[in-house]
Amino acid sequence: MSKKIRLLYMEDVSPLRSQTVYHAVGYAMTKDTPNTIIMVSPNGPYVSIGYHQDMQKEVDLEYCEKHNLPVYRREVGGGAVFLDNGQLFTQWIFHKEDLPASLEERFKLYIDPLVATYQELGINAMHRPINDVHVEGKKIGGTGAAQMGIAEILVGSLMYTFDKKTMSQVLKVPSEKMRDKIFESLEAYMTTMTEQLGSTPDRAEVKDLYMKKVSEALGMEVYEGEWTEEEEAMAKEIDERFVSDEWLYQKGQLKQQGVKIHQDVHLVETAFKSQGGLIRIIARLREGRIDDISFSGDFTLLPVFALGALEQSLRGVSATPETLQSKIEEAYYRLNIQSPGVTPTDFTTAIMNAVTPPQAA
Amino acid sequence: MIYYACDIPEDLTYDIERDVWIRFDGDVATLGMTDVAQTRCGKFAAISFRDVGKVVKQGKTLATVESAKWVGPFPAPFTCEILEVNADTFAKDILTANKEPYTDGWIVKVRPTDLEAERGHLVTGEEAFEKYKARIQELKVNCLRCID
Repeated sequence: MSKKIRLLYMEDVSPLRSQTVYHAVGYAMTKDTPNTIIMVSPNGPYVSIGYHQDMQKEVDLEYCEKHNLPVYRREVGGGAVFLDNGQLFTQWIFHKEDLPASLEERFKLYIDPLVATYQELGINAMHRPINDVHVEGKKIGGTGAAQMGIAEILVGSLMYTFDKKTMSQVLKVPSEKMRDKIFESLEAYMTTMTEQLGSTPDRAEVKDLYMKKVSEALGMEVYEGEWTEEEEAMAKEIDERFVSDEWLYQKGQLKQQGVKIHQDVHLVETAFKSQGGLIRIIARLREGRIDDISFSGDFTLLPVFALGALEQSLRGVSATPETLQSKIEEAYYRLNIQSPGVTPTDFTTAIMNAVTPPQAA
Repeated sequence: MIYYACDIPEDLTYDIERDVWIRFDGDVATLGMTDVAQTRCGKFAAISFRDVGKVVKQGKTLATVESAKWVGPFPAPFTCEILEVNADTFAKDILTANKEPYTDGWIVKVRPTDLEAERGHLVTGEEAFEKYKARIQELKVNCLRCID
């Protein structure tokens, strides 16, 4: 294993370069390249989409254009995310033999210094396996992994701030109600250093602290270095590819159900046609239970207060057909619900379609 | 042959370093991820293929696989021309390689362009199994398959 880790510290770079820089160091890596950590923050906001996402299906391009938000496709997986100067990205570009073979252990090694940095700042962060960092049930940044050339890559961030409102605006969603729920869920289940501490910590202090924690975790010296001409040339090449229509508009195949807020929390939306009308559902699932649910549609359900009561009765309920059916039947009986053409089984089916969508024929 | 739940069929040829299995049939080779590779990768979330007809150099990317936590290449064990990709199967069930890595879950069919010069590292049969045993121990892998 190399004895020292090169640090490239790049505050205030363009949004494009904040993404292409780690791809460039990865693809330019040779057997003689030192293991490298890049700490980089963009000087403007943008949207980053996952490798296999379909930009036109996942991102509200009209909103992005109106607000001058560029969109870049990264060679790391996962979903679309809004990024800006409020995050300090921590990008590891390592030789594979210098990282654990298993992804679980690899993420632990990568996440430990992030957690230690937060903890020393006074934030009660912990590693939520496999690859989240949480503070008392709220996510404070996710991570991802990829292989580029001979390099193994791990990426994540130290989260000073996160613009949850804009995050909810840049996603293409089926309804404005879903957008509101995304924002509400981000408020409930995401946090930042600024929220936790009441003020934004000094960036230079955070950088030094993270370098110290990396050095301790890996048992190696971290030195501030420069990138090579080859790496810079590679970055220019990747810059060009990342802004090309061919790259941006490539057809994605990643099929995701709803919006993942964090490892344990997902937001899903679905519609089910019953005899009595269309039932639309937006549900937030937390660890397999209904955390929040709302019904709408063109069905009739009486008495008028019963819809809200039905939603309320399902909160905290395990998202299994038997449990849901039992709870819904109990609510129908207790509230004397009348819903012409819509049965408790229709509600159960509608919810289960959101939780585990039926397979296409 | 099974070792730590990892199936290493002895009738196939392997590029062990790249974790690729090869089934030769005349001048055509079918390639896929080994049980070890699909386990390490985890459940597939998406796969994209290079174009049919493209010649891909040894070690370069034939397809890109995205799992829940990782994106990476499916590498060419030798320089080859891509004849066919298994896109339709993965479109129907993205977990095919996690269920049946050696049959339905093949990734591409190729024609090697310079096999004699590039096959020195390939192994088969008992030799492949013995080498995989060492690799499985080194990687501490216990293979897992997805089921329906």
